[in-house]
Amino acid sequence: MCLGIPGRVVERRDDGGFPTGLVDFGGVRREACLAYVAGEVGIGDYVIVHVGFAISKVDEAEARRTFEVLREMSRLDELEWIADAIEPAPPDVRPAAGATRGGHP
Amino acid sequence: MKYLSEYRDPAIALALIERIRRIATRQWTMMEVCGGQTHTIVRHGLDELLEGAVEMIHGPGCPVCVTPLEQIDKALALAARRDVIFTSFGDMLRVPGSDCDLQQVRARGGAVRVVYSPLDALELARRNPEKEVVFFAVGFETTAPANAMAVWRARELGVRNFSVLVSHVTVPPAITAILTAPDNRVQGFLAAGHVCTVMGWTEYEPIAERYRVPIVVTGFEPMDILEGMLMVVEQLEAGRHVVENQYVRSVRREGTVPARERVEEVFELVDRKWRGIGEIPMSGLRLRDEFAAFDAERKFGLGGIVVNEPAECRAGDVLTGRLKPPRCAAFGTRCTPEHPLGALMVSTEGACAAYYNLARHRIGESQGVTT
Repeated sequence: MCLGIPGRVVERRDDGGFPTGLVDFGGVRREACLAYVAGEVGIGDYVIVHVGFAISKVDEAEARRTFEVLREMSRLDELEWIADAIEPAPPDVRPAAGATRGGHP
Repeated sequence: MKYLSEYRDPAIALALIERIRRIATRQWTMMEVCGGQTHTIVRHGLDELLEGAVEMIHGPGCPVCVTPLEQIDKALALAARRDVIFTSFGDMLRVPGSDCDLQQVRARGGAVRVVYSPLDALELARRNPEKEVVFFAVGFETTAPANAMAVWRARELGVRNFSVLVSHVTVPPAITAILTAPDNRVQGFLAAGHVCTVMGWTEYEPIAERYRVPIVVTGFEPMDILEGMLMVVEQLEAGRHVVENQYVRSVRREGTVPARERVEEVFELVDRKWRGIGEIPMSGLRLRDEFAAFDAERKFGLGGIVVNEPAECRAGDVLTGRLKPPRCAAFGTRCTPEHPLGALMVSTEGACAAYYNLARHRIGESQGVTT
Protein backbone atom coordinates (compact mmCIF):
# COMPACT_ATOMS: atom_id res chain seq x y z
CA MET A 1 0.00 0.00 0.00
CA CYS A 2 3.04 2.24 0.32
CA LEU A 3 3.95 2.23 -3.35
CA GLY A 4 1.41 4.20 -5.31
CA ILE A 5 0.23 3.03 -8.70
CA PRO A 6 0.39 5.33 -11.73
CA GLY A 7 -2.67 5.68 -13.92
CA ARG A 8 -4.26 8.00 -16.51
CA VAL A 9 -7.25 10.16 -15.71
CA VAL A 10 -10.00 9.31 -18.23
CA GLU A 11 -13.00 11.04 -16.62
CA ARG A 12 -13.45 13.89 -14.16
CA ARG A 13 -16.49 14.57 -12.03
CA ASP A 14 -17.45 17.00 -9.35
CA ASP A 15 -19.50 15.09 -6.78
CA GLY A 16 -21.02 18.06 -4.95
CA GLY A 17 -17.70 19.86 -4.64
CA PHE A 18 -15.79 16.61 -4.13
CA PRO A 19 -13.54 16.05 -7.16
CA THR A 20 -13.44 12.43 -8.32
CA GLY A 21 -12.63 10.68 -11.57
CA LEU A 22 -12.04 7.46 -13.38
CA VAL A 23 -8.40 6.37 -13.64
CA ASP A 24 -7.04 3.77 -16.05
CA PHE A 25 -4.31 1.53 -14.58
CA GLY A 26 -2.91 -0.36 -17.56
CA GLY A 27 -6.41 -1.36 -18.68
CA VAL A 28 -8.01 -1.71 -15.26
CA ARG A 29 -10.28 1.27 -14.54
CA ARG A 30 -11.24 2.47 -11.12
CA GLU A 31 -12.79 5.48 -9.40
CA ALA A 32 -10.28 7.70 -7.59
CA CYS A 33 -10.52 10.82 -5.47
CA LEU A 34 -8.85 13.76 -7.22
CA ALA A 35 -9.29 16.31 -4.41
CA TYR A 36 -5.58 16.53 -3.59
CA VAL A 37 -4.53 17.25 -7.18
CA ALA A 38 -7.68 19.04 -8.37
CA GLY A 39 -5.86 22.22 -9.36
CA GLU A 40 -3.28 20.59 -11.59
CA VAL A 41 -4.83 17.51 -13.18
CA GLY A 42 -7.13 17.17 -16.20
CA ILE A 43 -8.31 14.38 -18.48
CA GLY A 44 -5.36 12.58 -20.05
CA ASP A 45 -2.93 13.47 -17.26
CA TYR A 46 -1.07 10.80 -15.30
CA VAL A 47 -1.28 10.56 -11.52
CA ILE A 48 0.16 8.37 -8.75
CA VAL A 49 -2.74 6.80 -6.83
CA HIS A 50 -2.50 5.53 -3.26
CA VAL A 51 -5.49 3.47 -2.05
CA GLY A 52 -7.94 5.33 -4.26
CA PHE A 53 -6.47 8.83 -3.89
CA ALA A 54 -4.41 10.63 -6.49
CA ILE A 55 -1.45 12.09 -4.59
CA SER A 56 0.72 13.59 -7.30
CA LYS A 57 0.88 14.29 -11.00
CA VAL A 58 3.62 12.60 -13.05
CA ASP A 59 4.58 12.67 -16.70
CA GLU A 60 3.62 9.86 -19.03
CA ALA A 61 7.11 8.38 -19.37
CA GLU A 62 7.53 8.18 -15.59
CA ALA A 63 4.06 6.67 -15.20
CA ARG A 64 4.74 3.92 -17.75
CA ARG A 65 8.13 3.11 -16.28
CA THR A 66 6.84 2.94 -12.71
CA PHE A 67 3.92 0.75 -13.75
CA GLU A 68 6.23 -1.72 -15.46
CA VAL A 69 8.56 -1.82 -12.47
CA LEU A 70 5.62 -2.52 -10.15
CA ARG A 71 4.45 -5.25 -12.51
CA GLU A 72 7.90 -6.86 -12.50
CA MET A 73 8.04 -6.64 -8.72
CA SER A 74 4.58 -8.23 -8.45
CA ARG A 75 3.67 -5.17 -6.44
CA LEU A 76 0.34 -4.20 -7.90
CA ASP A 77 -1.39 -5.27 -4.68
CA GLU A 78 -3.90 -2.47 -4.84
CA LEU A 79 -5.15 -3.68 -8.19
CA GLU A 80 -5.70 -7.10 -6.66
CA TRP A 81 -7.80 -5.52 -3.95
CA ILE A 82 -10.00 -4.11 -6.67
CA ALA A 83 -10.80 -7.67 -7.69
CA ASP A 84 -11.67 -8.55 -4.10
CA ALA A 85 -13.34 -5.29 -3.24
CA ILE A 86 -16.87 -5.25 -2.01
CA GLU A 87 -18.29 -2.59 -4.26
CA PRO A 88 -17.55 -3.53 -7.86
CA ALA A 89 -17.41 -0.77 -10.41
CA PRO A 90 -20.31 -0.51 -12.88
CA PRO A 91 -20.31 -3.34 -15.46
CA ASP A 92 -18.87 -1.23 -18.27
CA VAL A 93 -15.68 -0.47 -16.36
CA ARG A 94 -15.18 -3.73 -14.46
CA PRO A 95 -11.76 -5.29 -15.05
CA ALA A 96 -11.76 -8.33 -17.29
CA ALA A 97 -11.36 -11.63 -15.46
CA GLY A 98 -7.73 -12.23 -14.66
CA ALA A 99 -6.65 -8.74 -15.65
CA THR A 100 -5.83 -7.72 -12.13
CA ARG A 101 -3.41 -10.59 -11.67
CA GLY A 102 -1.30 -9.57 -14.63
CA GLY A 103 2.38 -9.79 -13.82
CA HIS A 104 2.06 -12.35 -11.08
CA PRO A 105 3.85 -15.62 -11.53
CA MET B 1 27.47 -9.82 -10.94
CA LYS B 2 24.91 -12.49 -11.79
CA TYR B 3 21.92 -10.24 -11.08
CA LEU B 4 22.95 -7.44 -13.37
CA SER B 5 21.09 -9.04 -16.27
CA GLU B 6 17.83 -8.06 -14.57
CA TYR B 7 18.51 -4.33 -14.80
CA ARG B 8 16.96 -2.28 -17.53
CA ASP B 9 20.36 -0.80 -18.29
CA PRO B 10 23.17 -2.90 -16.79
CA ALA B 11 25.85 -0.47 -18.02
CA ILE B 12 24.50 2.39 -15.90
CA ALA B 13 24.11 0.13 -12.88
CA LEU B 14 27.67 -1.06 -13.26
CA ALA B 15 28.94 2.51 -13.58
CA LEU B 16 27.11 3.52 -10.39
CA ILE B 17 28.46 0.51 -8.50
CA GLU B 18 32.02 1.22 -9.68
CA ARG B 19 31.69 4.88 -8.72
CA ILE B 20 30.52 3.99 -5.20
CA ARG B 21 33.35 1.49 -4.82
CA ARG B 22 35.91 4.00 -6.10
CA ILE B 23 35.02 6.81 -3.72
CA ALA B 24 34.31 4.72 -0.58
CA THR B 25 37.41 4.75 1.59
CA ARG B 26 35.75 2.39 4.09
CA GLN B 27 32.51 0.45 4.49
CA TRP B 28 29.60 2.78 5.31
CA THR B 29 26.43 1.57 7.01
CA MET B 30 23.15 2.95 5.79
CA MET B 31 19.47 2.18 6.15
CA GLU B 32 16.72 2.15 3.55
CA VAL B 33 13.46 3.20 5.17
CA CYS B 34 10.89 1.91 2.68
CA GLY B 35 9.83 -1.73 2.42
CA GLY B 36 9.63 -1.38 -1.36
CA GLN B 37 13.31 -0.38 -1.35
CA THR B 38 14.13 -3.43 0.81
CA HIS B 39 12.39 -5.61 -1.75
CA THR B 40 14.48 -4.13 -4.59
CA ILE B 41 17.76 -4.38 -2.66
CA VAL B 42 17.28 -8.03 -1.72
CA ARG B 43 15.81 -9.03 -5.07
CA HIS B 44 18.68 -7.55 -7.08
CA GLY B 45 21.38 -8.37 -4.57
CA LEU B 46 22.46 -4.71 -4.38
CA ASP B 47 23.89 -5.24 -0.88
CA GLU B 48 26.03 -8.13 -2.11
CA LEU B 49 27.25 -6.17 -5.13
CA LEU B 50 28.48 -3.40 -2.81
CA GLU B 51 29.93 -5.54 -0.03
CA GLY B 52 32.90 -3.80 1.52
CA ALA B 53 31.70 -0.34 0.44
CA VAL B 54 28.13 -0.21 1.73
CA GLU B 55 26.31 -2.27 4.33
CA MET B 56 22.54 -1.97 4.17
CA ILE B 57 20.38 -2.29 7.27
CA HIS B 58 16.74 -2.83 6.38
CA GLY B 59 14.52 -0.29 8.07
CA PRO B 60 11.03 -0.46 9.56
CA GLY B 61 9.19 0.99 6.56
CA CYS B 62 6.55 -1.64 6.02
CA PRO B 63 3.14 -0.51 7.29
CA VAL B 64 1.78 -4.03 7.66
CA CYS B 65 4.86 -5.13 9.57
CA VAL B 66 4.96 -2.40 12.20
CA THR B 67 1.25 -2.49 13.09
CA PRO B 68 1.41 -3.62 16.73
CA LEU B 69 -0.16 -6.87 17.90
CA GLU B 70 -2.39 -4.82 20.18
CA GLN B 71 -4.07 -3.06 17.24
CA ILE B 72 -4.46 -6.39 15.40
CA ASP B 73 -6.20 -7.84 18.46
CA LYS B 74 -8.50 -4.82 18.61
CA ALA B 75 -9.31 -5.36 14.93
CA LEU B 76 -10.09 -9.02 15.63
CA ALA B 77 -12.36 -8.08 18.55
CA LEU B 78 -14.29 -5.64 16.35
CA ALA B 79 -14.49 -8.02 13.40
CA ALA B 80 -16.05 -10.72 15.59
CA ARG B 81 -18.95 -8.44 16.66
CA ARG B 82 -22.29 -9.24 15.05
CA ASP B 83 -23.19 -5.58 14.58
CA VAL B 84 -19.93 -4.74 12.79
CA ILE B 85 -18.80 -4.96 9.18
CA PHE B 86 -15.01 -4.76 9.45
CA THR B 87 -13.19 -3.39 6.41
CA SER B 88 -9.48 -3.45 5.64
CA PHE B 89 -6.84 -3.27 2.93
CA GLY B 90 -6.19 -6.77 1.62
CA ASP B 91 -2.71 -7.20 3.04
CA MET B 92 -3.82 -6.96 6.68
CA LEU B 93 -5.96 -10.10 6.54
CA ARG B 94 -3.21 -12.61 7.22
CA VAL B 95 -1.28 -10.70 9.87
CA PRO B 96 -1.36 -12.90 12.96
CA GLY B 97 -2.99 -11.58 16.12
CA SER B 98 -2.65 -13.26 19.50
CA ASP B 99 -5.08 -16.07 18.64
CA CYS B 100 -5.95 -15.85 14.96
CA ASP B 101 -6.06 -13.49 11.98
CA LEU B 102 -8.81 -11.57 10.18
CA GLN B 103 -9.11 -14.25 7.51
CA GLN B 104 -9.94 -16.83 10.17
CA VAL B 105 -12.49 -14.51 11.76
CA ARG B 106 -14.10 -14.22 8.33
CA ALA B 107 -14.09 -18.03 7.92
CA ARG B 108 -15.96 -18.30 11.22
CA GLY B 109 -18.68 -16.01 9.94
CA GLY B 110 -17.33 -12.57 10.84
CA ALA B 111 -18.19 -9.83 8.36
CA VAL B 112 -14.68 -8.93 7.15
CA ARG B 113 -14.49 -7.17 3.78
CA VAL B 114 -11.49 -6.16 1.73
CA VAL B 115 -11.72 -2.68 0.31
CA TYR B 116 -9.54 -0.87 -2.18
CA SER B 117 -10.04 2.57 -0.69
CA PRO B 118 -11.36 3.88 2.65
CA LEU B 119 -14.04 5.67 0.59
CA ASP B 120 -15.38 2.21 -0.32
CA ALA B 121 -15.81 1.51 3.40
CA LEU B 122 -17.64 4.81 3.80
CA GLU B 123 -19.95 3.92 0.90
CA LEU B 124 -20.60 0.53 2.53
CA ALA B 125 -21.65 2.35 5.71
CA ARG B 126 -24.09 4.54 3.75
CA ARG B 127 -25.68 1.46 2.18
CA ASN B 128 -25.89 -0.49 5.46
CA PRO B 129 -27.29 1.99 8.00
CA GLU B 130 -28.30 -0.83 10.37
CA LYS B 131 -24.64 -1.95 10.73
CA GLU B 132 -21.53 -0.34 12.18
CA VAL B 133 -18.83 -0.18 9.50
CA VAL B 134 -15.27 0.03 10.84
CA PHE B 135 -12.24 0.64 8.62
CA PHE B 136 -8.72 -0.43 9.69
CA ALA B 137 -6.74 2.77 9.02
CA VAL B 138 -3.13 1.60 8.85
CA GLY B 139 -0.04 2.83 7.08
CA PHE B 140 2.56 5.55 6.86
CA GLU B 141 2.13 9.04 5.42
CA THR B 142 1.17 7.58 2.03
CA THR B 143 -2.23 6.28 3.20
CA ALA B 144 -2.88 8.97 5.85
CA PRO B 145 -4.32 11.49 3.33
CA ALA B 146 -6.82 8.87 2.09
CA ASN B 147 -7.90 7.88 5.60
CA ALA B 148 -8.09 11.50 6.73
CA MET B 149 -10.33 12.34 3.77
CA ALA B 150 -12.65 9.38 4.45
CA VAL B 151 -13.23 10.60 8.03
CA TRP B 152 -13.60 14.23 6.92
CA ARG B 153 -16.10 13.16 4.25
CA ALA B 154 -18.06 10.99 6.74
CA ARG B 155 -18.52 14.03 8.95
CA GLU B 156 -19.50 16.19 5.98
CA LEU B 157 -22.11 13.63 4.87
CA GLY B 158 -23.28 12.91 8.44
CA VAL B 159 -22.58 9.18 8.28
CA ARG B 160 -22.81 8.12 11.92
CA ASN B 161 -22.28 4.36 11.53
CA PHE B 162 -18.75 4.75 10.12
CA SER B 163 -15.59 4.72 12.23
CA VAL B 164 -11.87 3.95 11.83
CA LEU B 165 -9.48 1.90 13.93
CA VAL B 166 -6.36 4.04 13.55
CA SER B 167 -2.87 2.54 13.57
CA HIS B 168 -0.99 5.19 11.61
CA VAL B 169 2.73 5.74 12.02
CA THR B 170 5.09 8.36 10.67
CA VAL B 171 8.66 8.00 9.44
CA PRO B 172 10.69 10.87 11.00
CA PRO B 173 10.22 9.80 14.68
CA ALA B 174 11.31 6.26 13.74
CA ILE B 175 14.50 7.63 12.19
CA THR B 176 15.14 9.63 15.36
CA ALA B 177 14.51 6.53 17.51
CA ILE B 178 17.01 4.53 15.45
CA LEU B 179 19.63 7.30 15.66
CA THR B 180 19.28 7.66 19.44
CA ALA B 181 19.45 3.92 20.21
CA PRO B 182 22.63 3.19 22.21
CA ASP B 183 23.89 0.60 19.72
CA ASN B 184 22.99 2.52 16.55
CA ARG B 185 25.29 1.84 13.59
CA VAL B 186 23.37 3.69 10.86
CA GLN B 187 25.42 6.50 9.28
CA GLY B 188 23.09 7.57 6.49
CA PHE B 189 19.50 7.09 5.33
CA LEU B 190 17.67 6.53 2.09
CA ALA B 191 14.34 8.23 2.87
CA ALA B 192 11.16 6.81 1.32
CA GLY B 193 10.30 8.43 -2.02
CA HIS B 194 6.54 8.03 -1.93
CA VAL B 195 6.23 9.15 1.70
CA CYS B 196 8.14 12.31 0.74
CA THR B 197 5.97 12.78 -2.36
CA VAL B 198 3.15 13.44 0.12
CA MET B 199 5.04 15.09 2.97
CA GLY B 200 8.02 16.73 1.30
CA TRP B 201 11.32 16.66 3.17
CA THR B 202 11.34 19.65 5.50
CA GLU B 203 10.77 17.38 8.54
CA TYR B 204 14.05 15.60 7.78
CA GLU B 205 16.21 18.71 7.71
CA PRO B 206 16.47 19.18 11.50
CA ILE B 207 17.22 15.44 11.89
CA ALA B 208 20.10 15.58 9.39
CA GLU B 209 21.44 18.68 11.10
CA ARG B 210 21.06 17.52 14.70
CA TYR B 211 22.43 13.99 14.27
CA ARG B 212 24.91 14.92 11.54
CA VAL B 213 23.55 12.22 9.25
CA PRO B 214 23.04 12.39 5.46
CA ILE B 215 19.44 11.70 4.35
CA VAL B 216 18.71 11.20 0.66
CA VAL B 217 15.10 11.01 -0.57
CA THR B 218 15.20 7.98 -2.88
CA GLY B 219 12.92 6.08 -5.27
CA PHE B 220 12.48 2.32 -5.27
CA GLU B 221 13.87 1.14 -8.61
CA PRO B 222 17.38 -0.40 -8.68
CA MET B 223 18.89 2.66 -10.38
CA ASP B 224 17.22 5.00 -7.90
CA ILE B 225 18.62 3.07 -4.97
CA LEU B 226 22.15 2.88 -6.40
CA GLU B 227 22.08 6.62 -7.08
CA GLY B 228 20.73 7.29 -3.56
CA MET B 229 23.51 5.16 -2.08
CA LEU B 230 26.09 7.07 -4.12
CA MET B 231 24.72 10.42 -2.89
CA VAL B 232 24.91 9.24 0.74
CA VAL B 233 28.46 7.91 0.31
CA GLU B 234 29.54 11.18 -1.35
CA GLN B 235 28.22 13.13 1.64
CA LEU B 236 29.83 10.79 4.17
CA GLU B 237 33.20 10.96 2.41
CA ALA B 238 32.98 14.77 2.28
CA GLY B 239 31.84 15.04 5.91
CA ARG B 240 28.53 16.63 4.88
CA HIS B 241 25.11 15.90 6.39
CA VAL B 242 22.17 17.43 4.56
CA VAL B 243 18.92 16.30 3.00
CA GLU B 244 19.19 15.72 -0.74
CA ASN B 245 16.61 14.54 -3.26
CA GLN B 246 17.43 11.73 -5.66
CA TYR B 247 13.75 11.19 -6.60
CA VAL B 248 13.34 14.55 -8.35
CA ARG B 249 10.80 13.25 -10.85
CA SER B 250 8.23 12.76 -8.08
CA VAL B 251 9.18 14.68 -4.92
CA ARG B 252 9.01 18.41 -4.18
CA ARG B 253 10.38 19.96 -1.00
CA GLU B 254 6.92 20.99 0.24
CA GLY B 255 5.23 17.70 -0.78
CA THR B 256 1.56 17.64 -1.78
CA VAL B 257 0.25 20.55 0.25
CA PRO B 258 -3.54 19.88 0.14
CA ALA B 259 -2.94 16.31 1.35
CA ARG B 260 -0.67 17.46 4.20
CA GLU B 261 -3.22 20.03 5.27
CA ARG B 262 -6.09 17.52 5.41
CA VAL B 263 -3.95 15.07 7.44
CA GLU B 264 -3.12 17.84 9.93
CA GLU B 265 -6.77 18.90 10.15
CA VAL B 266 -8.04 15.39 10.98
CA PHE B 267 -5.16 13.74 12.85
CA GLU B 268 -2.87 14.69 15.74
CA LEU B 269 0.43 13.16 16.83
CA VAL B 270 0.47 10.62 19.68
CA ASP B 271 2.87 8.10 21.15
CA ARG B 272 2.44 4.83 19.23
CA LYS B 273 3.66 1.26 19.68
CA TRP B 274 5.51 -0.30 16.73
CA ARG B 275 5.41 -4.05 16.37
CA GLY B 276 8.57 -5.58 17.75
CA ILE B 277 10.10 -2.20 18.59
CA GLY B 278 7.86 -0.81 21.31
CA GLU B 279 6.55 2.66 21.87
CA ILE B 280 8.10 5.57 19.96
CA PRO B 281 7.17 9.02 21.27
CA MET B 282 4.91 11.12 19.00
CA SER B 283 5.31 8.62 16.16
CA GLY B 284 1.65 7.85 15.49
CA LEU B 285 -1.52 9.59 14.45
CA ARG B 286 -4.93 9.56 16.07
CA LEU B 287 -8.14 11.41 15.30
CA ARG B 288 -8.46 14.87 16.82
CA ASP B 289 -11.24 15.34 19.38
CA GLU B 290 -13.43 17.06 16.76
CA PHE B 291 -13.53 13.70 14.95
CA ALA B 292 -13.82 11.50 18.08
CA ALA B 293 -17.24 10.19 16.98
CA PHE B 294 -15.44 8.41 14.13
CA ASP B 295 -12.73 6.84 16.33
CA ALA B 296 -13.53 3.13 16.74
CA GLU B 297 -11.36 2.84 19.87
CA ARG B 298 -13.41 5.51 21.63
CA LYS B 299 -16.73 4.45 20.10
CA PHE B 300 -16.39 0.79 21.14
CA GLY B 301 -14.32 1.29 24.31
CA LEU B 302 -11.28 -0.72 23.23
CA GLY B 303 -8.78 1.06 25.46
CA GLY B 304 -8.66 -1.90 27.83
CA ILE B 305 -7.01 -4.22 25.30
CA VAL B 306 -3.28 -4.26 26.09
CA VAL B 307 -1.13 -6.96 24.50
CA ASN B 308 2.54 -7.85 24.69
CA GLU B 309 4.49 -9.17 21.71
CA PRO B 310 5.38 -12.90 21.54
CA ALA B 311 8.98 -13.73 22.47
CA GLU B 312 9.88 -16.05 19.59
CA CYS B 313 9.37 -13.49 16.84
CA ARG B 314 12.47 -11.29 16.73
CA ALA B 315 10.87 -8.64 14.49
CA GLY B 316 12.23 -5.87 16.70
CA ASP B 317 15.83 -7.00 16.15
CA VAL B 318 15.25 -7.26 12.41
CA LEU B 319 13.52 -3.87 12.20
CA THR B 320 16.37 -2.16 14.01
CA GLY B 321 19.09 -3.90 12.03
CA ARG B 322 20.48 -6.11 14.80
CA LEU B 323 19.47 -9.35 13.07
CA LYS B 324 19.39 -10.38 9.40
CA PRO B 325 16.26 -12.51 8.77
CA PRO B 326 18.08 -15.71 7.64
CA ARG B 327 19.95 -15.73 10.98
CA CYS B 328 16.71 -16.00 12.98
CA ALA B 329 16.26 -19.50 14.43
CA ALA B 330 12.63 -19.63 13.27
CA PHE B 331 13.30 -18.40 9.70
CA GLY B 332 12.01 -20.82 7.06
CA THR B 333 11.20 -23.48 9.65
CA ARG B 334 8.66 -22.44 12.26
CA CYS B 335 8.11 -19.15 10.45
CA THR B 336 7.13 -19.12 6.76
CA PRO B 337 4.75 -16.97 4.68
CA GLU B 338 2.18 -19.78 5.00
CA HIS B 339 2.56 -19.94 8.81
CA PRO B 340 4.07 -16.62 9.91
CA LEU B 341 5.10 -15.91 13.49
CA GLY B 342 5.12 -12.19 12.77
CA ALA B 343 4.10 -9.62 10.23
CA LEU B 344 7.56 -9.33 8.64
CA MET B 345 6.94 -12.75 7.08
CA VAL B 346 3.43 -11.86 5.86
CA SER B 347 3.80 -8.70 3.83
CA THR B 348 5.59 -8.55 0.50
CA GLU B 349 7.29 -5.45 1.91
CA GLY B 350 8.53 -7.29 5.01
CA ALA B 351 12.25 -8.00 5.25
CA CYS B 352 11.71 -11.64 6.31
CA ALA B 353 9.39 -12.36 3.37
CA ALA B 354 11.81 -10.60 1.00
CA TYR B 355 14.66 -12.92 2.06
CA TYR B 356 12.40 -15.98 2.06
CA ASN B 357 11.12 -15.30 -1.45
CA LEU B 358 14.64 -14.55 -2.66
CA ALA B 359 15.80 -17.93 -1.35
CA ARG B 360 12.96 -19.59 -3.28
CA HIS B 361 13.88 -17.55 -6.35
CA ARG B 362 17.52 -18.62 -6.17
CA ILE B 363 17.28 -22.19 -4.96
CA GLY B 364 14.13 -23.23 -6.76
CA GLU B 365 10.95 -24.56 -5.23
CA SER B 366 11.90 -28.24 -5.57
CA GLN B 367 14.87 -27.96 -3.22
CA GLY B 368 12.93 -26.14 -0.52
CA VAL B 369 14.19 -23.26 1.54
CA THR B 370 16.81 -23.63 4.23
CA THR B 371 18.28 -20.10 4.04
